[in-house]
Amino acid sequence: MTKQEQVKAIFIEEAGEIIEKLDVDILRFEENPGDFDLLNEIFRGVHTLKGNANAFGFTRLGEFVHHFEDVLDYYRSTKEEIAPDQLGLFVDSVDIITAVMTCELDGLHDLPQGYDECLEQIKHLIASKKNSPAPVAVDTTQSPSPLQDLALEFSFDCSALMEGSVLRSIQQQQEQQKEGVNLYQIDLTLDSDSYKRGFDHILFLKLLSEKAVFMESFFNMENIKPLDEFVGDENVIKKVSVIILTPQTKEEVEENFEFLFDNEYHVTLIDPIVAEAVIEKAEVTMENIELPERRKVEDRRATERSTEPQAATSMAPKSTIRIDTFKLDELFDSVGELVIAQNFIAQNEKIRIIEDESISRTIETLSKITKRIQDRVMSLRMVAIRDTFDKMKRVVRDTSKKTGKELHLNVQGEETEIDKTMIDSLSDPLIHIIRNAIDHGLEADAQERIRAGKNVEGIITLRAFHKSGSIVISVSDDGRGINKEKVLQKAIERGIITGDEKLSDSQVFSLIMQPGFSTVDTISDLSGRGVGLDVVKTSIEKLRGKIEIESKIGEGTTMSMILPLTLAIIDGMLVKTADEIYIIPTLSVVESFRPAREIVHIVKGQGEFVSMRGQHIPVIRLSDVFDLKTKRIAPWEGILVCVETEAGRIAIMVDELVGRQQVVIKTLGKSLRKLKQITGGAILGNGDIALILNVDELRPLIEDTHGGN
Amino acid sequence: MQFDGDILTIGLDMSMEEIREFEQFVRPRLEYIEMIEIEEGAALNSSALLSLLISLKRTRPEIRIPFLEQGSTTAGGYGTLHWICHD
Repeated sequence: MTKQEQVKAIFIEEAGEIIEKLDVDILRFEENPGDFDLLNEIFRGVHTLKGNANAFGFTRLGEFVHHFEDVLDYYRSTKEEIAPDQLGLFVDSVDIITAVMTCELDGLHDLPQGYDECLEQIKHLIASKKNSPAPVAVDTTQSPSPLQDLALEFSFDCSALMEGSVLRSIQQQQEQQKEGVNLYQIDLTLDSDSYKRGFDHILFLKLLSEKAVFMESFFNMENIKPLDEFVGDENVIKKVSVIILTPQTKEEVEENFEFLFDNEYHVTLIDPIVAEAVIEKAEVTMENIELPERRKVEDRRATERSTEPQAATSMAPKSTIRIDTFKLDELFDSVGELVIAQNFIAQNEKIRIIEDESISRTIETLSKITKRIQDRVMSLRMVAIRDTFDKMKRVVRDTSKKTGKELHLNVQGEETEIDKTMIDSLSDPLIHIIRNAIDHGLEADAQERIRAGKNVEGIITLRAFHKSGSIVISVSDDGRGINKEKVLQKAIERGIITGDEKLSDSQVFSLIMQPGFSTVDTISDLSGRGVGLDVVKTSIEKLRGKIEIESKIGEGTTMSMILPLTLAIIDGMLVKTADEIYIIPTLSVVESFRPAREIVHIVKGQGEFVSMRGQHIPVIRLSDVFDLKTKRIAPWEGILVCVETEAGRIAIMVDELVGRQQVVIKTLGKSLRKLKQITGGAILGNGDIALILNVDELRPLIEDTHGGN
Repeated sequence: MQFDGDILTIGLDMSMEEIREFEQFVRPRLEYIEMIEIEEGAALNSSALLSLLISLKRTRPEIRIPFLEQGSTTAGGYGTLHWICHD
């Protein structure tokens, strides 16, 4: 990938993030149109997007965003009340921005549907606002008064003066520039905590000067406050521009700033052509000094961007760095190997017999450090579910509008952290469930809710929390609830069950997630409940999770997705059969026991069963599944591990329980991939390899053993 | 750092720690200081000192800081350094 392609890739990634954030923020603003801090934040995002889009030739995106920015700037400056239809236009504009971005990325010539109409509405809105008398500002301290405007117009302008000085320096150095020496403009905008991080402008000047032929720097000190507002530890220098002649390449110059955040420095190589462009740009700026009206707005924007208190949300500077997830995965794999090696040392018999306290202590220390590294690396993969939940607010809003149902969304546990790789796969199932909850879970209309003694406004609760080493993400509605009898009736009609089964409530409700369960919409309180839910179930199972449904007639339904903390590590129960170790995911394990002889039954043609609390659970011998040669013992001489599968409970018969352990999952090679009863492998502490069972795929084998239906 | 009557003389090459101490020293005494002079021969070591000097000048405009009035300083370690502010 060339440097330019890399930069473009970064732009695309950042633009995607900005648009995603806009999508969330615009909804938050729609809910609270008086939050002008939030509007400022939206404006800043749009402004950045405009600059980047134009820089990369995405002109259609740039044009749309430019006009949208004008509208946002008008409202944030005037603080004029925003009418609901205009808020709707803002939301639509963000949709168009998303669509145009896709068109730009895909190189499509056609503009997205609604582009022209939306752009016209924006232009019309801003034109009407500019032609109408200026509204009275709500907050005079925030909006420039005529006097402030005059002050802006005639006051000493540090930024303009600095630009002029920088320009003159560039011109002078271009005249002096010799072959083999490059001219750069470096802009430093260090964050306020830079001193605390050990970074000082002078430090970088000294580093740069080591190879420099000439160096001149310009410090914009306009933000320095009097002592009563001055905090010595904080950097408040707005910007430092350095003009440098050096034989170094741009990459070499940039290496001096490798420990800074990307937003804190910008290096521009000035060649004759670029220099002209810079001069032209600077000349335009200088012209602006003679065009006070225009400059006034630009300056105000620039000043506000730099001096506005940063909102407490994502715009606040964070001490973070961006790391490719691929590198994180590599790091995680390496740590996995480290854990295995450490376990190998700790459990190695030859080492254990050495009676040396220092060796024991060193091994113990190694174990602690390894665990700490493993925990830290694990935490790198974890991200708060907040962003995903934020996206769901849009889903709720749109579905609410589409269905015409008034509702309120409760969000709880946004800070709950989940594996990054899982987050990406979680959105679609969550959208499905939320849409189902609103569309089919809540009562059809306000009248029905009033008749049921409920508030007109339905409540959807989105919640994330930890439970027994798993993450639970639940969607609850306070709607009609699922009619169990109708589900059973429907399942029998569809041939999903025979009607003879004794099913728990949870098992009955889970029937609605069977493929094709609800393709007919004649059942009023279940209509559509099954549409797409089988896809949801499959998606969650791919994440090694499961779905549980709780419902009460007249009170509502809760669908809970129970997910492992991470996809890379599994908490497993180690079992032994025929001297081979297997791992059963503990998430599936209900209980393990040695059965009494009386509760084991052999049904002719159907195999072995164990009776537990009135339920007959099929027994599957692991040795049969993998065709292992071992002495055939009776179930009451072995151990049964009862597990929950998608088709109900089964009891896996093993010789011995070895223990419970967290293991790093390793994918299997191509030759073993077809073996559906196994999801992966793991290397144990002693270096042995154990296979991880896919308990859901053990079921069909049982049916063969037990003679099926 | 020397305080002689109403003239305070400081070195430009202060570390961050020394700048903090200087700030603590000067805050309660600012009213009594007429001039802040710079010792010869040293180069600026931190932009924090420049910020502090400008802040002092903004707090008490009548205080004389000839160094600031130059508008620039030059040293082998960083070339020519200009500062731009309202005062």
